[in-house]
Amino acid sequence: MLLTAAEPWPENATLYQPLTEDQILLSDCASSLAVQAYLRMCGLPVQVVSRANAEYMSPSGKIPFIHVGNQVVSELGPIVQFTKAKGHSLSDGLDDVQRAEMKAYMELVNNMLLTAELYIQWCDDATAAEISRPRYSSPYSWPLSNILAYQKQWEVRRKMNAIGWGGKTLEQVYEDVSQCCQALSQRLGTQPYFFNKQPTELDALVFGHLFTILTTRLTNSELAERIKSYSNLLSFCKRIEQTYFEDKSS
Amino acid sequence: MAAAMELRCWGGDWGLPSVHTESLIVLVPLSHVCKNTAIASTAVPELLCGETAVQEPTHILNFLRKQRFNADYELTARQGADTMAYIALLEEKLRPALLHTFWVDAENYTNLTRPWFASRSPFPLNFLVPSHHANTALSRILLTKGEAPLHRISEVEGKIYSDAKECLNLLSYRLGTADYFFGNSPTSLDAFVFGFVAPLHKARLPSGPLQSHLRLLDNLTRFCDTVLSVYFSPSPPVQETVDANLQKLTQLVNKESNLIEKVLLPSFPLLCMSLLYLAGSVSY
Repeated sequence: MLLTAAEPWPENATLYQPLTEDQILLSDCASSLAVQAYLRMCGLPVQVVSRANAEYMSPSGKIPFIHVGNQVVSELGPIVQFTKAKGHSLSDGLDDVQRAEMKAYMELVNNMLLTAELYIQWCDDATAAEISRPRYSSPYSWPLSNILAYQKQWEVRRKMNAIGWGGKTLEQVYEDVSQCCQALSQRLGTQPYFFNKQPTELDALVFGHLFTILTTRLTNSELAERIKSYSNLLSFCKRIEQTYFEDKSS
Repeated sequence: MAAAMELRCWGGDWGLPSVHTESLIVLVPLSHVCKNTAIASTAVPELLCGETAVQEPTHILNFLRKQRFNADYELTARQGADTMAYIALLEEKLRPALLHTFWVDAENYTNLTRPWFASRSPFPLNFLVPSHHANTALSRILLTKGEAPLHRISEVEGKIYSDAKECLNLLSYRLGTADYFFGNSPTSLDAFVFGFVAPLHKARLPSGPLQSHLRLLDNLTRFCDTVLSVYFSPSPPVQETVDANLQKLTQLVNKESNLIEKVLLPSFPLLCMSLLYLAGSVSY
């Protein structure tokens, strides 16, 4: 990474994610949107390309990943470090204590929101059967589609059990999401961004997750309703959408 | 309100009241109310109050909050949100490396952790308990941090240790020169940080790169020592404690409830211990 620090950001940088219409799931869409928001906030152009096998192309198996020059980097954390090595950073103006806070809140989003999204997608039987398994396996024909879908479900359920979420009910997960949103709402307060006037990677991450939850249709709209009860989070999402994404809004 | 509470947790060593992170987290608000019980299940720590049994540190702290023993009473909403965020940071960044240090690192496991837990477990559990914990720790690290093509622990070790060192640095920046994370009295965040950091600080680890890193962060080690000396120092004679607490309670009966809470919280553990001594149900 350090060797390419001197190279400028190329015009043909690409971001890969699963097929948008048929395949991509809530958690992957949220992570991908977070990275896109971050890159737009840095002013770095990137083309979004959808591929059915994006997950397998990724070096870490996680979505999204970016292809820049001859480097391939996946997930928001490493991508932030990569852009920093190229001289683009949103959090340079923060002092040590603020940076500690920012990282802590990013972990809160990963720990609570992302895990809740994965839980709802794969551990809730109704959602898994109606939405997740069909969508995840849509590019493949039977029997590969069944095998891949169930394998993914089994992997995610193992992970949920390992971190202690296996025994939770859906209601408890919704409650956890509410608490997380309450914490984010209290931290945001009336400011435009989490660290006042300038957006940071935390704003990109929160936007990615909240906007995706608000705009994705699930088996029920409980999750979106929980977020809608925090008006400052809603206006935060709207503000970022209008500032950074208005050229692609329909 | 002052119903006798019994906390079942792993016992102490190395100058700590307990060597188990989750047990330490709940011991800070409940110091001295501890009965050493080695159980093979993962349901430790467990708080028994009357007929209710509560497990897991977050649930136990919520339970205490409902019983009006709330260390976070004076926090602002924003500080409450910060607490949640820092606890998430500890869970994501520090826990995997701690699990690795104590349960997966071969030298530490064979020389320190396994003998300790085996010696505290009754036969035949002493053969099963340590290896069960070690397997759980390894699978948790691999499932959360190991990426799909790299299912070997050696490839994630570097990443989890660098994450943990960064986490310790961030905690150190946040603590600064203060005694506690929020103001002058400890809150649940202090309990969590203490629970995670104290075993690392005090254990006599044969192989401890993370421990050496922690030793460089003076304010964190000082924080652990402060909590230890305030909450876990040897207790004063029982009779004096009972009289002192009864006096305090009668004086405060006519004052407002929040003042009662502020006094009851620090004296509750001593009161509870004295009640249990009198009832003859505590043995060390």
